[in-house]
Parts: sequence; structure tokens; C-alpha cells
Amino acid sequence: MSALAHYLEEEGIPTVAISLIRPQTENTEPPRALWVPFELGRPFGPPGNPAFQKRVMLAALRLLEREDGPVIIEDFADDDPRALPDPAWHPPFIPPAVATGTAKSLAARLEAEVLLLLGSHERWIAQHRRTTVGLSGLPMSECARYVADWLRGKAPPSPREGFSAPLILRFAVDDLKAYCLEAATAGTAKPSSRQLGDWFWNDTAAGAAMHALRVALQASEDERLRLIVSNFMVPAARVRAT
Amino acid sequence: MTRLTDLAPDQAKRLAEVECPDFETRPWVTGSVLSQRRVAIVSSASLFVRGENPFRGRDPDYRAIPADTKPEELLISHISVNFDRTAFQEDWNVVVPFDRLNELAADGVIGSVANTHYSFMGAIDPTQAEGHVRELAGRLKSDHVDAVLLSPV
Repeated sequence: MSALAHYLEEEGIPTVAISLIRPQTENTEPPRALWVPFELGRPFGPPGNPAFQKRVMLAALRLLEREDGPVIIEDFADDDPRALPDPAWHPPFIPPAVATGTAKSLAARLEAEVLLLLGSHERWIAQHRRTTVGLSGLPMSECARYVADWLRGKAPPSPREGFSAPLILRFAVDDLKAYCLEAATAGTAKPSSRQLGDWFWNDTAAGAAMHALRVALQASEDERLRLIVSNFMVPAARVRAT
Repeated sequence: MTRLTDLAPDQAKRLAEVECPDFETRPWVTGSVLSQRRVAIVSSASLFVRGENPFRGRDPDYRAIPADTKPEELLISHISVNFDRTAFQEDWNVVVPFDRLNELAADGVIGSVANTHYSFMGAIDPTQAEGHVRELAGRLKSDHVDAVLLSPV
């Protein structure tokens, strides 16, 4: 964001940037930046906490009134209170993960899991009146089938014109993650992202399917596919040694 | 938390050592008091409006997000899987605090909210986006924006 700030300011528009990675901001030296000590993906801190979010926003916007430039980098002092685990949270019931099994059995478990989570996901939508599922443009059952078919070794063609099969695979994987994680947070408990990640990547068929696809498709002759499964499917912190 | 000491050492090293543009100038534009500013948010979360064109990879251009976009209409198409998305799922204000911005305008803390906000793909070499950013500056000026809040993920 610091580089964008530089270009916009050169064009005559005052800017202030939220900074999540302080060394990057220090290197680029934007006109005004507020470093925040929050997890990547949460530039304004905790979800569902308007007062906290407003404090972050105002701390940033007030930098626009300062006159001691041309480089201001300030720190926001308070941590995200939602970074802590919630012991009251329990994931929705799904069959226990099995350490062994064929890719075909994992594909069947994945499709069954999506159906099992449907009730929880419907509760999520009723509670939040939105879903972030929709990147692939496929209904969730088709999304799961598309990913499952890759696991079955079918290399299915893209179901959407103008979108390559590897791209739709990436989008379908993103939709599956969003669906499972929304289903897992229906209710009043407030799990941390680490709690949710531990559940998704260790206990769900969807997570196991993504680990398995990453391993299986890294040998693909399709360079785009290799790139996507290697880097844009499983978070670096969750990649398992093979 | 994104204190680098809280991340896996490899990830922390990679993030800290990301190559950044080395600018020779330090542009600095001032303006009126906050209560008279018109504010737009520019995010690097690869946001797009449902049904429109998602970011497909390291696209250097941007997507427009009309200010009347509803939470259920906004999706993330970021290529990176190394940031938390569960907070955005629960509350879009964590990434693009449109509701907070509207409240600040209603309270008179800021002057007004832009007609349109924007999103880029964060995982790009920003120098590749320079032309698009400069073109965007013209659109922001047409909307009389005189303050941009830049929000990463």
C-alpha cells in the first residue's frame, strides 16, 4: 500500500495507509502510515467490535491533519482482543478424520461433509445475512464435486467459459474453505482464527482433500496447475512435510 | 498478531525482506481539516462485487466498489492463502470499514464519503500497477476525494 500512497500523493491526493508489515512500510516510507499489531487479514482489528474499529480508523485519519511530514509512521498500541481462543467454541460435528484411505474415499468424504455442514451454514447465513462463498460461481454441491473429481484423477474441464480449469479449481477451493469456516462459526462463540485453522486443516475432509491435491498435482505437466496447488491452496504454515 | 516474532520464521523473513520500490522523492500533500475531507478507501484485498470480474492472478488493475455496495455483494479473490479471511466473513468492516466511515461522516468527523471505493490485488509488484494508480487518481479527483485511506490485508 505504501507504493500506491506514493503514486497517489504524487498525483496530488493526500493518503494515509494502514501498515501490517512494519519493515515493508519503513522501506517504502509512505507519507503517512499507521502500523497495527493485528493478524494479516485484519487491518482494522476485531470483527464485530465497531468501537475498536473506529479507534483504529480515527488514529489513521488523524494523521492527515499532521504537518510534520514528508514521512510519518505511527504505531497503534492495542492488540486485537479477538486474537485469543474461545474455549466455549465447538466445531460442528463431522465424522472423525481418518489417517489412511484412498483418494477416492477422501473425495466421497468431502462431498458428504458438505452436505453434513449444510445446516450449520444455513444458520450462519440466517445469523449474518451474507456469505462470502461465490468466487467460483458454482453451487456448493458442484463446487465440492469439482474438487472431488480432481481428487479422483479426472482432471475435469472448466465449467465456466472464460475461466481455465486450474483457476476454477483455485476458486472452488476458496469457496469450500469459506463454506466450512462459515459453518464452523454459526452460533455465539467467537473462535480465534488459529482455532478455526486447526480444525479445518487437521480435522475436515475438505482440508485433507486440499493437502492431498497439493501433493498429487505438484507433478502435473500443467505449469499453472502446479503453481496454484503449490502456493495458493494450503497456507505456508499448514503445509505438511512429504 | 502481525508482529513478525509471532509468525513462522520463514514467513517472517520473507515478509520483512519483500523487495519494495526505492523512490527518490517523498511526495507530501496536505489538505483541510478532517471534518472537511471527502474520504475513499482503497484496499489491496482483491475485492470485487459479486457477479463482476474477479482478480484471476496477479492482475495489476483495480476494481470499483460503489459506496452503496451491500456486505453480501462483496467477495475476496486474493491469490494469497496466507492471511486470515474468517474475520472478513464475520464483519466486512475488518477489511473495508465502510460502516465506520459512514458513521464518521454522519457524526461530522469527516466531511463526506466518496461515491466509489476501489480495490487492487495486493500480491503484485506495485510498480506494475503505477499506470493504473495514476489513472485512478483522476477518477478520485472527479469524485472530489481529498483523502484516501489505504487498507492492506
